[in-house]
Amino acid sequence: MLPLYLLTSAKSKEILIELKNGENLTGELVNCDSWMNLTLKNVIQTSPNGEEFLKIPEIYVRGNHIKYLRLPEEIMDHAKEQNILNMEQRNRNQKRRGGNQGGNYNNYGNNNNNNRDRDNSGRFGGGRDRGHFRNDQQQHRNGGGRNRYNNNNNNNNNNNNNSQNQNQN
Amino acid sequence: MSESPVTVQPSQEQQPQTKDPSAPNVEDLYLESYAFTTAAAIVGSVDRKVFVLLRDGRNLFGILRTFDQFANLVLQDVVERIYLNDESNTPKKFGETYKGVFMVRGENVVMLGELDIDKEDDHLYELEQIPFEVAEKELKIAHAKTIKDEKIKGKKLLEKGLINDFVKSDLY
Repeated sequence: MLPLYLLTSAKSKEILIELKNGENLTGELVNCDSWMNLTLKNVIQTSPNGEEFLKIPEIYVRGNHIKYLRLPEEIMDHAKEQNILNMEQRNRNQKRRGGNQGGNYNNYGNNNNNNRDRDNSGRFGGGRDRGHFRNDQQQHRNGGGRNRYNNNNNNNNNNNNNSQNQNQN
Repeated sequence: MSESPVTVQPSQEQQPQTKDPSAPNVEDLYLESYAFTTAAAIVGSVDRKVFVLLRDGRNLFGILRTFDQFANLVLQDVVERIYLNDESNTPKKFGETYKGVFMVRGENVVMLGELDIDKEDDHLYELEQIPFEVAEKELKIAHAKTIKDEKIKGKKLLEKGLINDFVKSDLY
């Protein structure tokens, strides 16, 4: 279990954050992401010298400013329980899916990979290959950015070819 | 990959025969046969008691539960200990306090090492224990002094055309 996974299971728990500048924030964890950016609510901010306190209803912390987090003691057990629950849920879904369409069974456990694929299709060239198979869908999903451009190129090429052909004729 | 079974299998066969409690276990031998060089090097310290030094000078002692490629660490049953040095820079006093579960962001880790739980407390008998709050105050004064000294040093070096590589947040 990776540290950030543990952090996600600390949602809605009271945590303490120390920032690199020595400031302390205590509050209820609302959400976090893979960069350790956090949103908290009902926060008490303590200045580095420990003399000033500020009550803030909601706060967003950029992950790179964090020095460390202090989590509640019970988080380890809580994370384990949640993990087991998730696994059971997944198994149940797998069974259900398996009954309807056997083909998806193997793929289903790899949620992470699926997400990564989706990212790749947006940021890197990963989507291109898929584009060959189902160009139409891809265009709808991405607003057609890269593919439309490619298609235009193709069209231009075709046009050029056509005009050349015409010239030859 | 083909080498690993060769190195590991003999020890697996030997262990039930010898039954020596001090003999290295199979798991350790297996890990030692691989040269981990980056964050994966601490995989052998998982679920062991470790010492972690942070960039702000904090000394954390706890059980390493998990880590990732950035050396983000999750430590359980953490005790923070402050060592206070005398003029000759040898520790004379210490203060410690229980802090619970820690998740340290990797970039703040200076070093991490496994502890021998049989010997880890030995050096403390030669030191005087003081309350943590008192130690904290004394440490603050010591830090303020180092910052001041480094500033002066930086100025002097600058006069000679040299730079002093010091930032206030690096107090380890």
